[in-house]
Amino acid sequence: MLEAINLKKTFGDYDALKGLDLTVNPGDIYCLLGANGAGKTTTINLFLNFINPTSGTARVCGIDVMADPLETKKLLAYIPEQVMLYGNLSALENLRYFAQLGGHDYTEAEYKGFLTRCGLQNEAVTQRVSQFSKGMRQKVGVSIALAKQAKALLLDEPTSGLDPKASNEFSELLIQLKNDGASILMATHDLFRAKQTGTRIGIMREGRMMQELGTEDVSHADIERIYLEHMHGDASRHAA
Amino acid sequence: MLKLIIIHETRQLARTGALWSILALLVIAIIFAAWSGGRSIDRQVAGAQAAETFEDGLRNHMRADTEKYAAKVLAAGGEYQFASVRHAPGAGPPQGTNAGAVGAETSKFVTLPPTGLAALSVGQSDIQLNYLPVSLATTLDMTKNLELENPINLAAGSFDIAFVVIFLLPIFILAMSYDLLSSEQERGTLAMILAHPISIRKLMASKIISRAAVMLAVVLGFGVIALLTVGTALDAADTWLRFGLWIVATLLYLAFWFALAVLVNVYGKNSASNGTVLAGIWLILVVIVPQLVSMLATTVYPAPSRMELTIAAREAQTEAEKNFMSKLDEYYYDHLEFVPEGDEKAMDFLTLAQANNNSIEKAVRPLYDKFQEQLNKQEALVQRFQYVSPAIMMQLALNEISGTSANRYEHFLDQVYDFHDEWKEYFSTKFLQRYPLKPADYDDFPEFEYSEEPFAAVLARLTPSLLGMLILFLGVVLVPFMALRKYQVAAR
Repeated sequence: MLEAINLKKTFGDYDALKGLDLTVNPGDIYCLLGANGAGKTTTINLFLNFINPTSGTARVCGIDVMADPLETKKLLAYIPEQVMLYGNLSALENLRYFAQLGGHDYTEAEYKGFLTRCGLQNEAVTQRVSQFSKGMRQKVGVSIALAKQAKALLLDEPTSGLDPKASNEFSELLIQLKNDGASILMATHDLFRAKQTGTRIGIMREGRMMQELGTEDVSHADIERIYLEHMHGDASRHAA
Repeated sequence: MLKLIIIHETRQLARTGALWSILALLVIAIIFAAWSGGRSIDRQVAGAQAAETFEDGLRNHMRADTEKYAAKVLAAGGEYQFASVRHAPGAGPPQGTNAGAVGAETSKFVTLPPTGLAALSVGQSDIQLNYLPVSLATTLDMTKNLELENPINLAAGSFDIAFVVIFLLPIFILAMSYDLLSSEQERGTLAMILAHPISIRKLMASKIISRAAVMLAVVLGFGVIALLTVGTALDAADTWLRFGLWIVATLLYLAFWFALAVLVNVYGKNSASNGTVLAGIWLILVVIVPQLVSMLATTVYPAPSRMELTIAAREAQTEAEKNFMSKLDEYYYDHLEFVPEGDEKAMDFLTLAQANNNSIEKAVRPLYDKFQEQLNKQEALVQRFQYVSPAIMMQLALNEISGTSANRYEHFLDQVYDFHDEWKEYFSTKFLQRYPLKPADYDDFPEFEYSEEPFAAVLARLTPSLLGMLILFLGVVLVPFMALRKYQVAAR
């Protein structure tokens, strides 16, 4: 479970996050929507303890991120927009290193299993990742999350720039993880993907949560309309 | 966890081609430095031996003459006599019976033995001769082969292993660690790692440990190889003790450069600017500051020129020759016991020469002492200012450890002066008493044996440099480690 309670972050005199409340339950894929600068990445960085909040609390499975960052990081997996790996290591070596950093260890067959389960071709497993496409690297990223047995996933625009097929495969993996009971928080610009994959949607603007929706309740067209209204600043009547 | 990252980092290092190139260059530099250092020590030792053999040969020749003469006297009867200088060769007693001739015309070469590590840090021993001729001549004559105006040039020494350690090893370290953190940040892997349960301090510590391990292997490897190839007296405990200190000093010095790389990485920006900043600091600390300190020393305490000494010596000599009569009188006045019986104004050439030498020595000595004093002050100033640059501390430490420091040389010179006095005392007394030297007397000539300073004295002089480097290292390493507590991975 991921919880943000009145979370604020100020960079100098710029308020990046103005009191965010957010809960992502196990089995949820929560999609954060919003323009660049809305505070999506800041939220994820706060959950990762990459930055410290100005005030408020971020919790992972009930543990305060500020109080015990190393404990919360055992439960988290992070997939950034670009999964960055060690180019001079193979996919398997990268996975093994990150899995061991997470405190896990598996047999070589198990590592291969994670990678192929995430859709990486067999021959790519032992290749150096320097030549990997973005889609392949995102797959390694998910396999790292799998190997880590993460309870909560933080994804920062993981599918931007992926071709539709790769994007679709990625979404399938997320749904598998969701069904295994993970709490998933994903920042994205892809309204279509948010509706398809997500269970809930939060629309952010200038550091504030404007509206939360269940994807069951709305159509594609509704999401787009509500989103655009918020972006134009006249959607207050939709606020729950 | 630490072990895991250390192994990973070491493997990453091993896959960095640039490091292998630098390592290869380092190997070449060390081989050349070992060869060059070894050669300069070999040259000294060989020179000392050749000079000693030559002078001992001269004396043995004189001794052989006296033996022949003694045999002749024994066979033919008569008195064993003292050779006056003006005696024609072949007739009468040989020169070997004349203590003045033996003491003045042959020299005893005294040698400062190199320590087992001397070849590793040549220091100034390539210009400060480690063997000196002691005879009845003046101190000035004795030391005229010394380059007295030797600037305390800590920046540009000879190409020895100390040079490689002080100048080149930091470059290797900086090449390994200038992008310690920034490369991970730029590659994006830093965020990937720190999303795992590992603190940035542990990450940093692991990175440093893995590099330190590489460094340790390089230093120990090269050190042992250098010692085995150009070190001497490998069976002596002293050599290994000094080698231990050498390793300690080297590790302390290199630890500073690691700490500096960490500092710059914590406060720095991208790899390129980190590299530039570190290269700049290297230039300032290793090249510029030592030069400035050296300049400061020679400006604040300028040594009188060598020319002045020579001119003063000439003047003294001219003066002495002009009124040698009165000088001779003065000499006899000082040494009444030496006045030859019934020959109050002996015009013996050697007596005269000795009187001359004496007056020259008297005239030049103050200048000479002043000269030494200025050099000592320069040295003291460098010692005082060493803390401004780890390179100066390191140079002083390595010279001290290798036994090529100015202090050890002075310790040697003091003994040489004492020996010079002993030599003069022995030969001039016998000469002035007109005592004919017998073959057996040759065994009683003064002998020089260098007595090494106690190791505690070396340690005492070494401690400030080592301590200085330790404190500098701790200061530089603690600041970034405290700062890392607040390090924000994702600055806006």
